[in-house]
Amino acid sequence: MEAFRVSGASPAVGDGAIATNISAAADLTAADTRGAWARPRLRVRYPFTRRTPLLIRVAYDPRSLATRRTIVDKRPLYWVAGLILLAIVPLLGSNALLSSSTVFAMYAAINIVWILVVGTAGIWSLATLAIVGVGAYGSAYLSITYGLPWWGMIAIGPVFGLICGIIIAIPAIRLEGWYYALLTVGLAELCRVYAVQSQALGSSEGGLYGAATFIPNGVSQRTGLVISFFAAFVLMLAALALYRVVNGQRLGRLLRAAPEKQEAFAEALGVNYRAARIRVFLISSAALGLIGGFYATYFTGASPSLFSMDNMMLLLAMITIGGIGTTGGAVVGTLIVVLLDQVFVELGPLRLIIVAAIMLASVLFTRGGLFGVATQFSTWRSRRKSERRAQRSERGGEVMPDEATEIRDKQTIYVRRFDETVRKHLRPLVTDEVIAEHKRNPSGPHSDTLERLLNYFRRAAITDKYGILAVKSFAEYRVIALSGRRGVPPRVVDDKVYATPDEAQHAVFLRRVQDLMQS
Amino acid sequence: MAKSQIYGYSDKLSVKAGDDIKFMISAEGTATFKARLVRLIHGDEHPDGPGFLEEPIEAPLDRDWPARKQYVQKGSFLQVADPARVLAPGGAFTLHAYVFPTLPGAGRQVIIGRWSVERNLGYALGINGSGRLEFWVGDGAQADAVAAEPLLMPQVWYFVAASFDSRTGNAVVHQQAVLNRYNSLLSKIVPYDYASHVSERLRVRPGHAGDVRFLIGGASERSEARGEFVSQCYNGKIDRCGVQGGVLDGRELAAISAGGKPGAADILAYWDTTAGYTDRGIGDTVIDVGPHKLHAEGVNCPVRAQTGWNWNGRNDCFRLAPEEYGGIEFHNDAMTDCRWEPSFSYTIPAELKSGVYAVKLTAEDERAEEYVPFVVRAARPRAPICLLLPTASYLAYANAQLSFEADAVQAITAVTPILQDIDVEIYKNGVEFGLSTYDHHADGAGVCYSSCRRPIFNMRPKYRMPAVCCPWQFPADLSIVAWLDHMGYQYEVLTDEDLDRDGIAAIKPYRVVINGSHCEYYSERMMDATEDYLAEGGRLAYLSGNGYYWVVAFREKQPWIMEVRKLEAGSRAWQARAGEHYLASTGERSGLWRHRNRAPQKLVGAGFTSEGMDVSVPYRRMPDSYDPSVAWIFEGVRGEIVGDFGLARGGAAGIEIDRYDLTLGTPPHSVILASSEPFTDNYPLVQEDVMFMHPGMGGTQHPLVRADMVYFTTPNDGAVFSASSIAWASALPCNGFDNGVSRVMKNVIDAFMKVGPLPGKR
Repeated sequence: MEAFRVSGASPAVGDGAIATNISAAADLTAADTRGAWARPRLRVRYPFTRRTPLLIRVAYDPRSLATRRTIVDKRPLYWVAGLILLAIVPLLGSNALLSSSTVFAMYAAINIVWILVVGTAGIWSLATLAIVGVGAYGSAYLSITYGLPWWGMIAIGPVFGLICGIIIAIPAIRLEGWYYALLTVGLAELCRVYAVQSQALGSSEGGLYGAATFIPNGVSQRTGLVISFFAAFVLMLAALALYRVVNGQRLGRLLRAAPEKQEAFAEALGVNYRAARIRVFLISSAALGLIGGFYATYFTGASPSLFSMDNMMLLLAMITIGGIGTTGGAVVGTLIVVLLDQVFVELGPLRLIIVAAIMLASVLFTRGGLFGVATQFSTWRSRRKSERRAQRSERGGEVMPDEATEIRDKQTIYVRRFDETVRKHLRPLVTDEVIAEHKRNPSGPHSDTLERLLNYFRRAAITDKYGILAVKSFAEYRVIALSGRRGVPPRVVDDKVYATPDEAQHAVFLRRVQDLMQS
Repeated sequence: MAKSQIYGYSDKLSVKAGDDIKFMISAEGTATFKARLVRLIHGDEHPDGPGFLEEPIEAPLDRDWPARKQYVQKGSFLQVADPARVLAPGGAFTLHAYVFPTLPGAGRQVIIGRWSVERNLGYALGINGSGRLEFWVGDGAQADAVAAEPLLMPQVWYFVAASFDSRTGNAVVHQQAVLNRYNSLLSKIVPYDYASHVSERLRVRPGHAGDVRFLIGGASERSEARGEFVSQCYNGKIDRCGVQGGVLDGRELAAISAGGKPGAADILAYWDTTAGYTDRGIGDTVIDVGPHKLHAEGVNCPVRAQTGWNWNGRNDCFRLAPEEYGGIEFHNDAMTDCRWEPSFSYTIPAELKSGVYAVKLTAEDERAEEYVPFVVRAARPRAPICLLLPTASYLAYANAQLSFEADAVQAITAVTPILQDIDVEIYKNGVEFGLSTYDHHADGAGVCYSSCRRPIFNMRPKYRMPAVCCPWQFPADLSIVAWLDHMGYQYEVLTDEDLDRDGIAAIKPYRVVINGSHCEYYSERMMDATEDYLAEGGRLAYLSGNGYYWVVAFREKQPWIMEVRKLEAGSRAWQARAGEHYLASTGERSGLWRHRNRAPQKLVGAGFTSEGMDVSVPYRRMPDSYDPSVAWIFEGVRGEIVGDFGLARGGAAGIEIDRYDLTLGTPPHSVILASSEPFTDNYPLVQEDVMFMHPGMGGTQHPLVRADMVYFTTPNDGAVFSASSIAWASALPCNGFDNGVSRVMKNVIDAFMKVGPLPGKR
């Protein structure tokens, strides 16, 4: 074959030189190629991760085609603002508020870790506070008996937590749901009875006191409270970080692949969800133990109330109100309950009733607690919207203005209007005579009236259009509807069987007439 | 329980004594399958005809064979053999290409790179699942990526690039539209800001393994069952692309995007997609004009000769301005060769007479059955009659999915399609054996290549084309075989393949050539051979409707692959993009032969005038047919009506029909022997005859909607008899082959077989 070139002094191909047959492009839009390119936009990441601080979606606005940059997930911003607020507001308040805030931060830390157990691992453990208690008692005991310093107490806490976790985890392998919850309640109660009765654990003094504290000697009360608060605040941040690492990484992903009632499916795919659950449980237990150690050094001891049922219930109220499964929910739930419990002390026992009422309300009226309200609302709104639209298009109505903005190809809006007009003119054409004519002679030639009907039927779009399946040629035919999507087989419309192609053709005609009259 | 499935094809469609034919079989749900050689006689199961007829032939291949599943590589792409691993740069590098994406957002697609999907290894520039340009790398364990910001818009030309600095891990993606007044779907009046340049520091460095292929338009993947294959195939066009050593900055890339050449010193590879074009077509090799000459080889026929990023609308063919035709078009569902391992082969014995044969394959449970048809032609032609099977047209319709996918089909055919199990099976499997030239790729582009190296489920006896509810092409043509058999004629069978390869030599030995029922697709060599044959005294019985219609070409190096471009006119399932009207295989203008001034009327006196599939009608004799010069054709036919019966919708004239037209080149001495009775309005006048649209184009109102039975003589005692209707062949077997249509055929064939002057010659 002769090498063929019309223009340009291109060297013969393959001689190592670069062919110069790229002509300068005429008409290129100046902005696009002639001018200098914009400097690349630098996308910054968190160190050691592939994540960028904010997820920004860049999209063309469908109306103006302008490039729009939107933050897909504004939660990081809310978190930063919320945490800054949480860190500052207590400093402006009274000493009582400061110490309540410390308690809040501590409980929030416990709840965040608990969310890992209940939400991520899906283990219904009510022994959370008990593990904290074991960590607190253990480190307090070591501090009092062996003079363990405060940082040693925090360091040893996880060991107690882990031991405790291992013991509680064993039954979790076999027990599920409420059976396991009951068992953990029993275990907590066992701990309480033991602490109340054990001489070594200070049964006589109603607790174990005299452990080391992290507040330096000689600082003012206010300074001590501020130090305590920030220590607890850091503990909460650490709990949040732990949650992020466990839930956001491999373990959390494995467990999300094996949600409740779909475990068997996940297992069949090779997800070892049991091992992942136990690992999350053990990690959480160690963390709870650490919080226990912190608790003991903050309160310079531990009391059996840590194991009590009422405290556990208060904790449950916190995560239920906020919404089980989200850290935001845990923090906000904790905030509400602690606020009621500690700040409105003058209300007395009434405040517990208020907590119960809020909890009941959030269980009854929300899906996923207070934090799920926004999603719940938008789901409800979009459901209402689609219901309204469905009703309208069922009656063959025009596309509504708000619906039209969402339709990319505006022609479809016209086609819907046009088809309705056509149907209005076609419906009176359907008569017994026309149907009889088609039955007599499905192939044709047909009267003009029948032909008009058939033309409308035949030009319909392919999706859900009728067809015929020859189960056995010249013996057995069925009516089907085509999918219009490659790879998706047609569906069988009903169980009727027709003996000849003509009968099947007429059956399709009758179905189409019926669809026309009903639309 | 999984249903057993068997599919197969042969390496050739036409063989002669002494030839070896290989059969490639894939079977599932059965441990073995039984093979049996049969001669096919009749393929239409219509109760008014003789039914399905086959004749077992003893052959060494008749035995049980072990079954195994063979996989199909779908998707077109270019692969680069790079033994020295030049394209596995350890240091910094830059990838660049012009792209015209057509389906961004439909799964991850690789534009250019060396990427192993299951190992997360290598690097690639491509389109991510959301439809954005992305550059990604993997070290064998972890992957990391940087994506551009706005979505890529379909059918817009972009210049895209990615650079990677291995020292810092800094990766930059660039995308910049290069649209001009002609090259894209949209013009510059649309206020999109297409440009995006993003830089990100990656945590992962690309790893390299020797066995990961460098691909343009795909990624390597391996699975245990299937071995190595290519996935993440790209949809759209790619123009000049390359790999540069080092990081090219915005200024250097801007220069390349404006048509400049990459700096020679840094070139690792630069594929000049416009290099190596010839006046006679473009092959599958894309030339690397860089120092390493890493030429890329196309798999599954990436479409060459497409308009490039700099097409300026003035030139309409790659032969005029190759530099504007650098576009290579890729599709993730293109498939032109299954590349299966042969399951067995068969050497054609000398005593096997010419005819239509098939290897019949049956699964153990006998629930799956497959016929792999082929033609045995005469090693030394002896018979007076040649049946020329229109295999080019079989390929055009091979595995067509019209009734499943085309909105207009039911309106065209005027019947509700009747599907068979095999149709549903193939559709459910995503049409894995590739598409027909009546289908569209996933991105909406028409399919311009078809191939016989793949199972063709609609080229099988007993198959009924769903859209028209009757046999079409191959199974319909078996009615002619059955008729020849029944009438006791000595005949031999040829295919379009033979005619295209051997030209007039293939048909010259025969006194009569009989065409199949629908010889719609013709190559230039086939046209020339037919024309020369008739001029030299050959005799042709044209039993088709809508014959000699589309310009096609078989590929020089892969004659099992055929190309067609459907242009602005004709009954066309799709229409080629502006500027893409010439066959990459030969450089010829495709479209209708009529628009290259070779209307079918010039060859056989009649050409396409209408189609419809509701009812066929009979012919009524025209006054001219009583002239002694042609009256012999109707000898023994009573009355003036011929063919008020038929297996194809009840008449001999119908489905697709042709008419006599002096303005289109019907030989002036032609006679209309008979014309059809009026058709319904579901037979409208064809589009290429319509200069202005107006109502009344249907069969009941327009006089041009008719089938003309035409006869004329050619030099040296040659002649043409044109039935001008697809339904003609399916009328032959009615009433035990004893009918008016059969009688006319017999008169014609008997006369054409005789050496010397034709009857009625004055």
